[in-house]
Amino acid sequence: MTTAISLSDVTVSFNGTTALDRFDLDVPSGALTAVVGPSGCGKTTALRAIAGFQTITTGTITLNGQLVATETTNTPPERRGVGMVFQEFALFPHISVAENVGYGVRGADRVDRVRRTLRLVGLEGYEDRFPHELSGGEQQRVALARALAPGPDVVLLDEPFSNLDAPQRERMRRELRRIIHSVGVTAVLVTHDQAEALAVGDRIAVMSEGRVVQSGTPVEVYARPVSPWVARFLGEAMILDGVAEGGAIDTGIGVVPTSLADGASAKVMVRPEWVRPTVVDHGVGKIVDREFYGHDQRVAIRLDDGTSIDALLPGSIDVALGERVDVEIDDAIVYFTNDTAGAR
Amino acid sequence: MTEPGSIVEIEIPAGVPAAPPGSTEQRRSHGPWYLWVISLLIVCVIAVPVTSLALRLLDATDAAWQSLLSWQTVRLMVRTLVFTALVTASATAVGVSGAWLLARTDLRFRRAWGVAFALPLVIPSYVIALVLISASGPRGLVADITGVDLPHLVGFPGAWLALTLSTYPYVFLITAAALQRVDPALEEAARGLGASPARVFRTVVLPQLRPAMGAGALLAALYTLSDFGAVSLMRFDVFTRVIYAQYSGRIDRSPAIVLSIVLVAAALIVIWAEQRTRGDGTLFSRKPARPPSVYRLTPWQRAAGTTFLAATVAAGLVLPVAVLSAWLLRGLTSGIDVTIPFDAIAGSLTGASLAAIVAVAASVPIVVLAVRYPTGASNALERAVYVMFSLPHITVAIAVVAFTVRYARPVYQSLLVLVLVYAAMFLAQATGPAKASLLQIDPALDDASRGLGRSHLATMARITVPLMSKGLLAGGLLVFVTALKELPATLLLRPSGFTTLAVRIWSSADELLYTQAAASALVLIAVSVVPVYYLSIKPKDVVGV
Amino acid sequence: MRRLLVAGAVLALAATACSSSDDRSLTVYSGRSEELIQPLIDRFEEETGISVTVRYAGSADLAATILEEGSSSPADVFLAQDPASLGTVATAELFTPLSEEQRSRVPSRFSDPDGYWLGISGRARVVVYDSTNVDPSELPQTEDGFTDPSWSGRVGIAPTNGSFLAFVSAKILLDGRDATLAWLEGMAENQSPTFPKNSAIVTAVNDGQVDTGLANHYYLLRALAEDPEVPGRNHFFAIATAGSLVMPAGVGILASSERTDEADAFVDFLVDDASQRYFAEETFEYPLVPGVPADDRLPPIETIPTPDLDLSLLATTLDEATDLVAEAGLL
Repeated sequence: MTTAISLSDVTVSFNGTTALDRFDLDVPSGALTAVVGPSGCGKTTALRAIAGFQTITTGTITLNGQLVATETTNTPPERRGVGMVFQEFALFPHISVAENVGYGVRGADRVDRVRRTLRLVGLEGYEDRFPHELSGGEQQRVALARALAPGPDVVLLDEPFSNLDAPQRERMRRELRRIIHSVGVTAVLVTHDQAEALAVGDRIAVMSEGRVVQSGTPVEVYARPVSPWVARFLGEAMILDGVAEGGAIDTGIGVVPTSLADGASAKVMVRPEWVRPTVVDHGVGKIVDREFYGHDQRVAIRLDDGTSIDALLPGSIDVALGERVDVEIDDAIVYFTNDTAGAR
Repeated sequence: MTEPGSIVEIEIPAGVPAAPPGSTEQRRSHGPWYLWVISLLIVCVIAVPVTSLALRLLDATDAAWQSLLSWQTVRLMVRTLVFTALVTASATAVGVSGAWLLARTDLRFRRAWGVAFALPLVIPSYVIALVLISASGPRGLVADITGVDLPHLVGFPGAWLALTLSTYPYVFLITAAALQRVDPALEEAARGLGASPARVFRTVVLPQLRPAMGAGALLAALYTLSDFGAVSLMRFDVFTRVIYAQYSGRIDRSPAIVLSIVLVAAALIVIWAEQRTRGDGTLFSRKPARPPSVYRLTPWQRAAGTTFLAATVAAGLVLPVAVLSAWLLRGLTSGIDVTIPFDAIAGSLTGASLAAIVAVAASVPIVVLAVRYPTGASNALERAVYVMFSLPHITVAIAVVAFTVRYARPVYQSLLVLVLVYAAMFLAQATGPAKASLLQIDPALDDASRGLGRSHLATMARITVPLMSKGLLAGGLLVFVTALKELPATLLLRPSGFTTLAVRIWSSADELLYTQAAASALVLIAVSVVPVYYLSIKPKDVVGV
Repeated sequence: MRRLLVAGAVLALAATACSSSDDRSLTVYSGRSEELIQPLIDRFEEETGISVTVRYAGSADLAATILEEGSSSPADVFLAQDPASLGTVATAELFTPLSEEQRSRVPSRFSDPDGYWLGISGRARVVVYDSTNVDPSELPQTEDGFTDPSWSGRVGIAPTNGSFLAFVSAKILLDGRDATLAWLEGMAENQSPTFPKNSAIVTAVNDGQVDTGLANHYYLLRALAEDPEVPGRNHFFAIATAGSLVMPAGVGILASSERTDEADAFVDFLVDDASQRYFAEETFEYPLVPGVPADDRLPPIETIPTPDLDLSLLATTLDEATDLVAEAGLL
């Protein structure tokens, strides 16, 4: 897998604040990479830096091996071959759908390309309409078609679904994956919604405070978050305190083996689906709440020592409030810091 | 219990970024070089009169400086500022009342009233003054028709009325536009909290209108400050008269130039005062969800409102047109030769339309820099435009003559210079609407175009300028109408053999040839009707000055 | 469409940058208004085939302009309302002397003694009065009578107007600086209403705003032509003072002109009988060429008492006149 976009040690600062702080990101070509982070983390700045709308203070940006931005140079956006889909779509209101889509296309096959691209996004016959005559989803498709029509190496999408209602959003996510993969273009999508990032991205990069804190496939990042913060940001996570003793940490809900030296304190992260309760007459805890979703269910358990934990179980298991349970954990991640693990 | 090997242990690195990234505001570059090149050219044009004035001050004679430091100068200055304040207050009151009546009530025939109410904009202030003098008094037209002996309308009351009628349309057009953007939800919220309509107007509507009123009042004040024709005909003594007297009454021009500096200072005081009263108000760039609500007038309110509109239109439009028509008819019936001033029509249309085109073209780089690349330099550029607008026309003209005759001989007395001076003087009227329209364009559209491989210049040509077109048209029309009326700079700067309707009206009236003056004035009004009609039905495009 | 407009603008601007290269042409700076002189110029163009470009502005303004332009003035001919403006240009040695033949057409008292400029029409200083309010026998013999308190607030003057300033210049030469300042102060003390120009005074008298005013004689005749029922009348002072001066409008040829033939033809044209009749009949001025009659409502020019004054000296006291007007508080 070759690298299509590479940001290396990129810093962007203005007015005394730093939007990107020694930011590193490699985007593999042909895949859809979702950049996710809380609002204000700098993800839109990163996207704008790739597109060329934002100059960078330090570092380098490379697009398909071409250096496009350094401390001192900045290839203007129009010469980067990057397509962009904007949050509010930014369709040109004064020209038709066909003219919007054909705006970036030059050459003899312009008309043909516009038609093919509109077919790709499912908007055949919309050529002569104007942006204000379209629904949100249709505008989104035009925006995507416009970005794809010139045949860019890279497409950037800035919160592309935030202006759509929930059902449209679900449908457009699937459509987007289909279109991106059928074209084979490298895509970077920015979102603040972790569920969206996990669902849509071939790879995801999690950002916090101007940096990429973790990147990888959705499965990797979800299952092996590099910090409690990432764990919490990407999904539900329980963080339990514990101290290593004799090669294990007793979390209260189970004992986790560890290589940490005795006396080292650590945080143990457990996702609810890793918790496996079994109904036992004299169990260590009691089921105090249950939300049934159909395909699965969340069960809240209060242990006798007062600890509350959640478990996510398949819908097929029948449990009842007040039943006593024993708890095991299938998986856990132990986080430690250098100073607390000093005894090791 | 899981196997020890399957448990992941992760070390969290020390020194995770502590400070949050802060504002997400995008820093942008300073803008493309060619916008700055064009802007610098504009600055050069604007700088000519200012530097020329400064140069002339250096070699002004002692006598000139003495004329500046007299008690008479101080007295006149105070008188001028007080007069300007009074005219501004009345013009604002009339303009805002009219705007509210026509934008927010259920008065009938609002569109027709709106056009009629805006039309006095096209009548030069000295024509209004001339007409008021002629129509008033025991031997005037009004006395002839009604049999009521009116006092002579001269001096302070006459000057006040004439300039109020000439300047309230600026306030009206700008405020009417702002009123259409006031969010009705705020008013409904206030009503829901039990406020009376009057209190809602005072506490909710008026504060939202402050910036627009300020902008309109500024135009009115600066117009009043630099007006010469109306005040001199009304024999009301203000500062411009002294400058003209010094200019026309002697060979040494330096006293006129030294005195001009005082007027420039007064203009700066007015601009400063407007900024002080403006406070933190900002113009509305957000579109309200719904059109503003309509206030239902009670029958007596309707009668009062209609009377107010009718009286204003009668004084500002009907009376001038009637008097001018009466002069024309009287002359024609007594066999006076009246020529249609084709050369003046051609001159007016050429000068004013070229000025409008140049001003609109110049406004684009200025507002693009100011809005899209806000830096100290681009803000200074935008402000320079207002300083230029505030300079009295006679001052600008004297300075430009002095400059071109010495340093720019090839363009001395050329149409090029006249058009550039028009454009520079009225540029603020073009940048206002242009800025308003640009503020409504999502900057992402520019980015989208750039991302699709179009250069900045191509983006401006294909996206930004077409989307600004309504604002640019409104600005161009304002410049056109204002340039049509312009007199002092035209008199001094026009090419030999070039004449305009405004000049012809002035010189005909000067020789008491009222028939010819009336013919030229009626043509001037006719020429301006279409642009003002457009401006009055599309006030939204004018806002943002 | 937009492109077309821009192209048009560029063309129009470019066209103005190149001056016309007409073979026989003339540039005239005229301090006389377009309304008064353009019909005559049209006729000149028709008769001679010389195309004339005219720059209209105030006489003093144009004189100052010519001084600034110096020896490279685009003007060939300067046509002015008053001797002071002409004298200013003559003093700066920017005029070329006129031919003996031209000078002999007009009585010498209406021209420059050195022959640098020539009077073309005469304009008498008069008192305009409202015949419904004022008995002409009440009117004083000279302008000095108007400082009497009985005329308080009843005499309109145009202190910033060129004709008035020329009159003040003449008064300085005739009566001295102190007497002139005293007169101006007297007028100021008398609360004499000030107007921007002569025409406004005549209009004010006709409208009944003010009883009398100091003006040039022809404004009233023009007002009568527009509306025969106006009540204003002219009164000529009986004693020769600055107030009774007949001020010539005149013409001179610039030394820098390279179109002397055309300029000569223009000057000849202005003092031919037809043009002189035009001044008499259309602008109601006094023709200066002997034998051409003035309007029959006017007293013959010979009967107007005239002080002994070299008109070319008016230029020397023009700025002083403005100073005195200002000092008296009339500005």
